[in-house]
Amino acid sequence: MSPVAQCLIAFVFGSVVGLLVQRSRFCNTAALRDAMLFKTFRNTKALLVAMMILTIGFTGFISVGAGNPMRFDVGINQVLGLFLFGTGMVLAGACTVSTWVKAGEGNFGAIWALLFTFIGMFLFSLVWSFLYWPPAPSAMTGELSLERLQLGFANAETLQDKTGIPAIIFGLLQAGVLLFIYQRIRKRERGQGGDAAASP
Amino acid sequence: MEFFRKTLDPVIALGAIAVLDIFLFLIVGAWTVGGGETMMTGLIAQFFMGDAIYRIPFWQEVFKPDAGYWKIYISLGMLFGAVVGAVASKEFFWRFPRRISEWVMITVGGLLMGIGIRLAFVCNVSTFFGLTPELNLGGYLSISGIIAGAWFGSLIYKRVLEG
Repeated sequence: MSPVAQCLIAFVFGSVVGLLVQRSRFCNTAALRDAMLFKTFRNTKALLVAMMILTIGFTGFISVGAGNPMRFDVGINQVLGLFLFGTGMVLAGACTVSTWVKAGEGNFGAIWALLFTFIGMFLFSLVWSFLYWPPAPSAMTGELSLERLQLGFANAETLQDKTGIPAIIFGLLQAGVLLFIYQRIRKRERGQGGDAAASP
Repeated sequence: MEFFRKTLDPVIALGAIAVLDIFLFLIVGAWTVGGGETMMTGLIAQFFMGDAIYRIPFWQEVFKPDAGYWKIYISLGMLFGAVVGAVASKEFFWRFPRRISEWVMITVGGLLMGIGIRLAFVCNVSTFFGLTPELNLGGYLSISGIIAGAWFGSLIYKRVLEG
């Protein structure tokens, strides 16, 4: 597929996502923050439903060798990086999606957060250029490397290759765990009664 | 039009986005935002610095600025879709943070998000809508990090809210 076609598809996808997120007021930050601080789960439930659909869809297609899964080495940098990110998104009141969507609604705070996300990325590019860590894609080996704090690469494809069990089976297991969490939330809401129980 | 008058149930919205994301996964790759934002950072830096940007190894070895990188257009599309939704539903208006503490939290939060994305090579979208549904080990590592971070951020947020 040509790069122009890829960009066009990405733009159309992004436009529909932006419209749906704007109309639904979904926010990934709220999905985590509100569950922890206020014990409300409107966004958490939506996140869980999306993850269930995606898990079944992705692993189903991976089972038959279709799709474009992400391939790169992972390690302690994912835990540290997302810890910083998680702290930052709660402070900023928006994640990567809601900064763009709120910016589109005229929220200058979101534009400011986006600007400083770019600045943070640029600052990290300077630090990386001294540390050369985490490893650049060209330096990734796919193997465990303790000195570089890297665990290598593993996903539904490698699970299927190593066990001979179709990836969809693992996907269904994960979807089952997500469904269990979703049902626990619904049960808790029913127990609380009121508006929360009436919401989907 | 009813769609622009009422708030959409987020379960329906995210369900629809998940189905579209499966199509995107089949065509180019799963939904992600951090990669596109990094490329935009590189392009903005290149605009101001010119070829001097290539003296910073990161922009040679990890992200070589390229305006044809498809992930950029997901973010631009989200902005466009949100503007359309906000204007059509008469919800577009300029809003500014009022208190100094809000400006400080947004500034620090934005910086941490940018640093965190590049350190992890992933953002929250890749974590929840890409890596974890692909059963990628990185997804589980990222989820543990983002939950711990959101909890820590919530403690700070609560303290600021309480004044």
